[in-house]
Amino acid sequence: MNERDAAALVADLVGDRAGEWDRAGRLPGDVLAELAGKGVLCAEVPAEHGGLGLSSVDNGELTAAVGALCGSLRSLLTSHGMAAWTLSRFGNAEQRATHLPRLTSGALAGVAFSEPGAGSDLSAMTTTIVRDGQSVVVSGRKVWVTGAAYADLLVVFGRHGDGAAIVVVPANAPGVRIERVPEPVGCRAAGHADVHLDAVRLPADLLLGGAGLPVTLLATAALGYGRLSVAWGCVGILRACLAATTRHATTREQFGVPIAEHQLVARHLAELHVAERSATHTCAHASRCWDAGTPETVEATLLAKHLAATAAARGAAAALQVMGSAGARDGHPVARAYRDAKLMEIIEGSAEICQLALAKHAIAEWT
Amino acid sequence: MSTSTVTATAVHENLLEFLSKRAKSPWDPEQDLFASGSFSSLFALELVMHLESAFGIAIEAEDLRLEHFRTVGAMTELVLRIRGRGGE
Repeated sequence: MNERDAAALVADLVGDRAGEWDRAGRLPGDVLAELAGKGVLCAEVPAEHGGLGLSSVDNGELTAAVGALCGSLRSLLTSHGMAAWTLSRFGNAEQRATHLPRLTSGALAGVAFSEPGAGSDLSAMTTTIVRDGQSVVVSGRKVWVTGAAYADLLVVFGRHGDGAAIVVVPANAPGVRIERVPEPVGCRAAGHADVHLDAVRLPADLLLGGAGLPVTLLATAALGYGRLSVAWGCVGILRACLAATTRHATTREQFGVPIAEHQLVARHLAELHVAERSATHTCAHASRCWDAGTPETVEATLLAKHLAATAAARGAAAALQVMGSAGARDGHPVARAYRDAKLMEIIEGSAEICQLALAKHAIAEWT
Repeated sequence: MSTSTVTATAVHENLLEFLSKRAKSPWDPEQDLFASGSFSSLFALELVMHLESAFGIAIEAEDLRLEHFRTVGAMTELVLRIRGRGGE
């Protein structure tokens, strides 16, 4: 299955039901089972582990296609894909061979970073991962774990000795309790949940490599995938806004003409077009760097995430303005875009955290 | 550099150039990258990607230890050891 087949499958399964899922706050189990079972939700996993083996560029276009239809499903795809990427990067050959085929054959995964006292400052994490003979014991509380309400596996970050570690926690392990976030402002059906880990004892072979490295290093590596995926999802949000507003503005008449002929409305459409094109080009550049494996990937990914998320938030607000009352109800694609895009400025590195890193980059490059 | 034979000198020179460019001053090969505190986690990731792309290697999970990245000498050893394993 290539990127276009995968996008067609998603379009077929989602149909016009994303608004309904948003209002209900749930994605249907059969849809998730089919997409996860075919490896669509972590499409860069190589064929040897049952994945589609897509490049970052192709997976990016798939992500945008999903994001244009349903922000909640796209958000789940981001988290599941990030879990698979983290397993690929930090798992040894045996761990990859054990876990990746599960993630391409139906099991769903989430990634747990944030805690009540550790959001942007992940070094304040207090969850512990302690080695005890042939076991590891995981204790703590994670918040806002995307997809946790649906997950079979959780990739959990925590303190480990002087540094940090990553452990794969089966969601049904004794001591794991998952509690849905009630009514999130956006991506309402993405299954955000708090995860309570009460002395969860697991076999030590669920501990991934890199144990002992600083938490910021482990998290930065894992978040790279998530940031690029969010950025492509924002391209999808902008495309959904363009589809809705251009249709509306050319058919809705006020003062005797289609509203697209009013210059202030036309300006919104122009700016949406600019936002979508610039986000697409920036994401495509970052994905090409990712595929080439060059160090430039790190900065290009941050740039793509920041540009696309802020463009989507601004663009979706303008799109709702163009739609007026036609888009001003929950479940409408533009209303969803408006709420979902705001979350994109917060997750996977807030706009401000991206700006801090980009400012350092600018200073390093220009001084 | 991924196909031909890579010598310790070549790796060493390449890393000195990469780090000097980043630090904007000549890099002392004995200097501890992490003791200075001047490099961020984003830089550490860039460094791993540089080693992988410049020398055609895959740094596996078991090699992701700070001591392998602490100095130019340690990284040179790591690159040669991974390339020596073959099949990369």
